[in-house]
Amino acid sequence: MNCFMFPGQPLSHGTEWPDDPDFRAIADIVRRRAFFDLEGFSWIGTGSTDNVKLQVFGTAMSLYRFWILRRENTLPDFIAEHSMGIYPALAACGSLTEEEAIEMTFRVGVCLARMGETRSYALGCVVGLCREPLLAIAENHGVFMANYNTSRHFLLSGERPNMEEAMAEALATGAFSARTFPCDTPLHTPLVGEIDNELRGIFADYRYAEPRTRLVDHINQDCLSAADLGDFLREELQRPVYWEKTYRALRAAGVTGFVEVGEGDSLKKYNRWIDGEMRS
Amino acid sequence: MAEELIEKVKQLIIDALRIEGMTPADIETDAPLFGEGLGLDSIDALQLVVAMEKEYGVVVPDAATGTKVFRSVRSMADHIAEHRK
Repeated sequence: MNCFMFPGQPLSHGTEWPDDPDFRAIADIVRRRAFFDLEGFSWIGTGSTDNVKLQVFGTAMSLYRFWILRRENTLPDFIAEHSMGIYPALAACGSLTEEEAIEMTFRVGVCLARMGETRSYALGCVVGLCREPLLAIAENHGVFMANYNTSRHFLLSGERPNMEEAMAEALATGAFSARTFPCDTPLHTPLVGEIDNELRGIFADYRYAEPRTRLVDHINQDCLSAADLGDFLREELQRPVYWEKTYRALRAAGVTGFVEVGEGDSLKKYNRWIDGEMRS
Repeated sequence: MAEELIEKVKQLIIDALRIEGMTPADIETDAPLFGEGLGLDSIDALQLVVAMEKEYGVVVPDAATGTKVFRSVRSMADHIAEHRK
C-alpha cells in the first residue's frame, strides 16, 4: 500500500515555474480564489503577508503535483498531512474541491496573519536534541513544542524574544542546529486559541464530503470522517503535529510506499531517520 | 590513502542519505555540501553525523564543529582522518 504525504508551508519558493496546462489551471485558481499571482509571486490587490504567500504557494504546488500523479494513474491508499498540508490533502481525498482548498488556505492564512500585527512570533527548528531536554527548554522560556517530527527533529513556536532565548539555550545544551524563522502566528500552540472564533467561522463555511481515500490525522493518527473535519481543522492549528507517530502508524498499517506531494522533501527525510531507528 | 577515504566518504553520503541515481563520481570533493552544492540541510547533516560515528567512531560534538566538518567532502574526510579510532 502507498501513502501520499502532504507537507506543510514551505520556507521558500522557486523562481522557475512549470509550463503546462495543469500548472496554468492551478495558477488561474490561485488568482481567482486567493488573489495571488503565483508566477510573479505577488498579491493582486491588498493581499497579505509573505508567510501567507508561501502558504498559498505550498497548497498550489501540492495540488499541481497531485494532478500529475493522478494523471499517471498513481493513486494513494492513504493520505497523510503535516500542518497546513491538510488543505491540499482535503482536495486530494475529495472532501473539498481544489478551488475550496486554495481559498481556505488563503482565508486561514489571512486570519492567522492578523495575530502578527500586534506581536512578533517565531518558529524554531531544533535538530539533534531529544524530546525531554527540549520540553524543559520550552517550559523555561514560555514557548511550545509545535512539531514532533522525529526523535531528534522538533519545531518550537512562540513569541519571538522567548524563541530567541530558547534557541540559544538549545544550542548551549548541545543541539546540532537551532534556527528561528519569522512567522505571523505561533502555529500549533494554544496561543492560536485567541482567534478560535474566527477560525471556526471560516471552517463552518464549507461543506465537507466524506474522504474517498483514508485521511490520517497527525494528532491522534485516526482516519478522519467528514463529520470530524471542522473540529480537526481548528484543533490542528492549536496542537502539535506528531509526524513520527503518524509515520509509524502508517507503517504499522502496512504502508510501504510514501510519496511526498508538494514542495521540498522534509517528510521523506524525517521518514528516513525514523526508518533508521526502526531498523536498529 | 586520502583519495581512498574521500571516495568512501562520498559513498557514505550516498548511502546515509539514500540518494538515488548518484555515484561517488557525481560528487565534487571540494564543492559545498549545503546550499548551492549538494543542497543538503540540517536534517541531512544529523544523518551524516550518525553515519560517521557508526562507520568510523568519529564524533561531531557540537554545531560549530559541524559547520566546519560539513563544508565539503574533503573537510569530512579530514575530520575522519584526524579523529578516527
